[in-house]
Amino acid sequence: MPDFKSNPQKEIGEHPFVEVTATVNGKKVTRRVPNHFRLIDFVREELHLTGNKEGCGAGECGTCSMFVDGALIKSCLMPVQKVINANIETVDDLDRDSGRTIVQQAFHKCGSSQCGYCIPGMVMAATSLLRKMSNPDREQIKEGLGGNICRCTGYQKIIDAVELARDVMNKKVPASALEENLIEPVMGARTPRLDAPGKVTGAAKYAADMEMPNMLHMHVLRSPHPYAKIISIDTSAAKATPGVEVIITSADVPGVDNFGVFIEDQPIMAREYVRYVGEAVAAIAADTLDIAIAASKLIKVHYEVLEGIFDPQLAMKDGAPQLHSFAKNNITKHTKIRKGDVEEGFKQADLIVEEVYQTAKIEHAYLEPEAGLAYVEADGCVTVHSPSQNITHHRHALAKILGRPINKVRMIMSTVGGGFGGKEDMIYQGMLALAAIKSRRPVRYVFTREESFIASAKRHPFSIQYKMGLKKNGKIVATKMVMISDGGAYAMSTPGVMNKSAILGPGPYQLDNVWVDAIGVYTNNTPSGAMRAFGAFQSEFATESHLDLCAEKLKMDPIQLRMVNLMRDGATTHTRQKIDRVLAVDCLEALVKVAGWDEGIPNRHGGGPATRKDISQGKERKPCTLGTHLTDREKV
Amino acid sequence: MLTYDQYVVAKSLNHVFDILDANPASRIIAGATDLLPWARYGRAGDVHLSSVIDVSRVADLTYIKSDSKKIYLGANTTIADFQNNPQLRTHAPVLAQCAVWFADDQIREQATVAGNVVNASPAGDSQPALLSLNTAIKLIRREQGKIIERTVPLQEFILGPGKTLLEPKELVLGFECDSALGFGSAYEKVGHRRSLVISTVCLAVVAKVNPAKNIVEDIRIGIGAVGPVPKRLHKLEKRLIAEPITSQLIHEIAEAGSEDVQSRSRQEYRREVLVNFIERAIISALNEAGLPLVRFGEERLCA
Amino acid sequence: MKKRGRGVACGWYGIARTAAMDRAAVWVELDDGGTVKIATGVTEIGEGILTGLCQIAAHEMGVRPDDIVLADNDTARVPEAAHAGATRMTYMIGNAVAVACKEAMTKFKRAMADYWGVDPISIYAVNRRVWVENSPVMKMSMTEATHVLKKEKGIVIVGSGLFTSAHTALDPDNGEATPWQSYVFGAQIAEVEVDLDTGETQVLGVWAAHDVGRVVNPQQVEGQIEGGIVMGLGHALMEEYTQNAGQVGTPGFAKYILPTALDIPNMYSVLITEPDPKTPLGVKGIGEPCITPTAPAIINAIYDAVGVRITSLPATPEKVLAGIIEKKKQNSKKVNKEKSEVLA
Repeated sequence: MPDFKSNPQKEIGEHPFVEVTATVNGKKVTRRVPNHFRLIDFVREELHLTGNKEGCGAGECGTCSMFVDGALIKSCLMPVQKVINANIETVDDLDRDSGRTIVQQAFHKCGSSQCGYCIPGMVMAATSLLRKMSNPDREQIKEGLGGNICRCTGYQKIIDAVELARDVMNKKVPASALEENLIEPVMGARTPRLDAPGKVTGAAKYAADMEMPNMLHMHVLRSPHPYAKIISIDTSAAKATPGVEVIITSADVPGVDNFGVFIEDQPIMAREYVRYVGEAVAAIAADTLDIAIAASKLIKVHYEVLEGIFDPQLAMKDGAPQLHSFAKNNITKHTKIRKGDVEEGFKQADLIVEEVYQTAKIEHAYLEPEAGLAYVEADGCVTVHSPSQNITHHRHALAKILGRPINKVRMIMSTVGGGFGGKEDMIYQGMLALAAIKSRRPVRYVFTREESFIASAKRHPFSIQYKMGLKKNGKIVATKMVMISDGGAYAMSTPGVMNKSAILGPGPYQLDNVWVDAIGVYTNNTPSGAMRAFGAFQSEFATESHLDLCAEKLKMDPIQLRMVNLMRDGATTHTRQKIDRVLAVDCLEALVKVAGWDEGIPNRHGGGPATRKDISQGKERKPCTLGTHLTDREKV
Repeated sequence: MLTYDQYVVAKSLNHVFDILDANPASRIIAGATDLLPWARYGRAGDVHLSSVIDVSRVADLTYIKSDSKKIYLGANTTIADFQNNPQLRTHAPVLAQCAVWFADDQIREQATVAGNVVNASPAGDSQPALLSLNTAIKLIRREQGKIIERTVPLQEFILGPGKTLLEPKELVLGFECDSALGFGSAYEKVGHRRSLVISTVCLAVVAKVNPAKNIVEDIRIGIGAVGPVPKRLHKLEKRLIAEPITSQLIHEIAEAGSEDVQSRSRQEYRREVLVNFIERAIISALNEAGLPLVRFGEERLCA
Repeated sequence: MKKRGRGVACGWYGIARTAAMDRAAVWVELDDGGTVKIATGVTEIGEGILTGLCQIAAHEMGVRPDDIVLADNDTARVPEAAHAGATRMTYMIGNAVAVACKEAMTKFKRAMADYWGVDPISIYAVNRRVWVENSPVMKMSMTEATHVLKKEKGIVIVGSGLFTSAHTALDPDNGEATPWQSYVFGAQIAEVEVDLDTGETQVLGVWAAHDVGRVVNPQQVEGQIEGGIVMGLGHALMEEYTQNAGQVGTPGFAKYILPTALDIPNMYSVLITEPDPKTPLGVKGIGEPCITPTAPAIINAIYDAVGVRITSLPATPEKVLAGIIEKKKQNSKKVNKEKSEVLA
């Protein structure tokens, strides 16, 4: 007789169970879990071993890597049924005998851990590699780490650590090389990170690793439309679902529902309108995540879909839909820099070069998806524990939104698994706080990777019209930059980004005549917000590209061109600030000394066999050819 | 998210067929490395299946055998096996060359060749390599208690994106490939980075030469990611065998490859790269097979 | 066929909050066991601020970095230090910690001087020990000192510190302002190899020189530079978040491409460490300055290698190869034109 057991869902959000017996970190365990659990869910949610993380759930980031029967696999891609009677090793107890393995000690010593979120997976990948290969070279190490993404470190010190671990294991260097010696003097010392031990062992807790008794799980219903009017939201069927404790929408917000770093234009859940795909519409807090997700499908939202606007140039035109009542022509912010007289400058120029540059909308891609835990304390203070980069500001905003005195709102910043500016905006803490208040139970919310992508801020894309006038000797006599940026549905950091992009955009050059426009525009795209270098990445990209273009036309070496124009001590900036001490030339000279530089016009050797004398000096890496570890096998 | 009414780890082939008989719409999975990422926002979204049959522990599907002429891969052969199994390294090094471009170490342990083939993604990395080995796929079904086998050339088995000749209540037993002992081989792939990346163009070449006569005795070129199905370039192969081989001939013949790009997106790019890959991979495979040739154009540079 | 090239770019960046007053406050206590408790608005986000602050405090307080305990960043428990961003952590909070510790140590030295009957100026505290200059007997561990002061004198050593950076807002018409007190200058050189068959760019080496001020922990500064370079590389070559009529085309890591370990160059950090004159510690910052020169250096290097200028990021293989083909066409047009001119 077949084993078939028909076990359809009885209640909404309930799933059939499966009994799983496995050996985990040397201990035999038997548990009953929902049959859709993957190994990562089994380890983290059932066994509370939170060292390994779920950075993406789709097998792309490697933070979930663990050993099953000796093979390193991605546990977010492994249905739990596959590990019945298997032997599982997670990062949490890798160091059963000694406290920390050689690999973990090497990671600590080399400064390989920054935010730490990718590190448990990296430790597992390194461990797996060194178990398979006793003496991998640097290229083979890189291939062994090819399934693990890091966003903070740039990988170099992680690879260094694997080399150190390899050498200690092969006794090429003594074990004392792993020791954290006291370094004096302490200022300027390469002190190994004090938080690294917690990160290499997976002991450090991030928000998604935290649990409280009687905790509810939150799921958020998000808008499928980029622009629509919300006609009605019917939560009755969802509310009636057993296990659902509370459902909140914008109508439940007690105070003044607007937040924003510069312009307070964003409600914690969509109010009257949804303005981008992924905007929060309703939040459900239930006994299990499965119930919350299933109940969310019963919420009926009646939308009147409107014609959205997606191109910032079009959004600025008269007649375009006005996304916010206070922003004429959808302009969020227009920053102006005007110094000297650019038109006069262009008249004096021997050469005028124009070009248009574009930068893309960028995702922060911190390995830790957003998460948070909120609860109300005995004295009535509502606390939100989350990886927020700006709890001071968030507390201000939340106090107003919840209609409470500021000292009855408490924000705690959890260890952040990467921020880069993407965790500066208060896009979910409001819902968490409100749900905790209404349910009087702790509430946890963990974003999926996809949610993090569509709901959180992005780096502003810029379109930059560049016009530069120069003299034959390379002196810049006029710089004009007109920059337009898609700010997305809400302001977030747009005003600040426009400011910074304009102030820094023309570059570290002594310029008499400067004209910069930086215009941020509302559209129905994902909001653009703070991201590492905050507008200066985009505008300086244009300037540094443009200088090379000009160098070629002037038949000058690009470093020479910069030397003619770089600021020196006592320079006046484009905002008319005097800077007493300017080390720009010192940096460039030091750089050339270390890197070497063969002077000449850009692309002078294009097409012909001539080569630069500074290339291929052995300091660069070899170009990557995969399969370096094929050669380490036995010859067959 | 992927959910199911039932998920059974099958113990044997008959166990699989029992479940299929009771529930013909059952989804068969091996590694699950394609299915779980697919059931997420941005792709299929939440997916609920009534019945899943996990065949990864069925012994009859887990084998790697070889003789002087052929290699036999069970359905559960993993992509890691492509790199690690000594028989495969000897008889079909093109599989290992393909494997290093396939996802990453972790996924290679989990992903199976049957899973990759039945998923029939146009960008599937293993198909060009398998095609270059004249691979045939063995399918089994159970009728009145008896297991019946049929063999289909791989090129005919894949019909389109996500579509194959697999019938309901049928499953993949394994694959039969020609041994490439004595052949040279090469695998090329390009994406947007160097690891864990979806192919924009991928290609495999195996070739046998007679260096004394300066001819190619046998050459097989499999391409992927440039159309709805992976293909062999039979016309080009014939031209390469017809006459004494020179790098100029290879260069000219490779140009014809651009016709085989059927993708509607990034078509210009794919045409250009495919032609370059065909030329580059043929030279590389011939070099490995014992015919030292330098790529046309690079020859002139040296002169 | 592959071609190599090199490109250079300069950069600059302002430290701490833009065009607005910036502030950070700190409390410190010399605690039992000669340990130190510090309360300020900071939590580690990966840049290394935790370790850096402990080094600063250890230096000021005469103890070791692992003797320092930093309180969680909790609005109900610690003084405000504003946000974690804008390359402001070491600059604002590091300086505030130094100020607070200096105040605490002033009190400590006065108390110990009182205890020993000497001039405070002769008291030294380094590496867990406190002593009177040139005295063979007047010395003890910081552990003992803390205990003695508490038990016998009823003194708990506490200090507080504030650091403010004075910035002015932008004039709305012409942008005139002092947006920051301190700037970080820098430059980077990138060496790339372009594959003419596929348009792929591999970045083989990046050298980075940055004017980082006084360095608290060079390993951490390098780590930030290396991370910034690789993030810049991603922006330059592979990262693009796409939307079509508002629907997201890249909602995950399969379509949104990030650099892996196989994509990184060899990276060399050159630190220019002249102390910043405007702050007690002389520190500046590096988190953001290190990311602005990378992308243009790579794009300039691609131009140097193959004569293709990418003005729209990212410089995907498709764009580079299209540029190479276009250039070939234009060159052959030029050659044909020259040929026909010769013939004419």
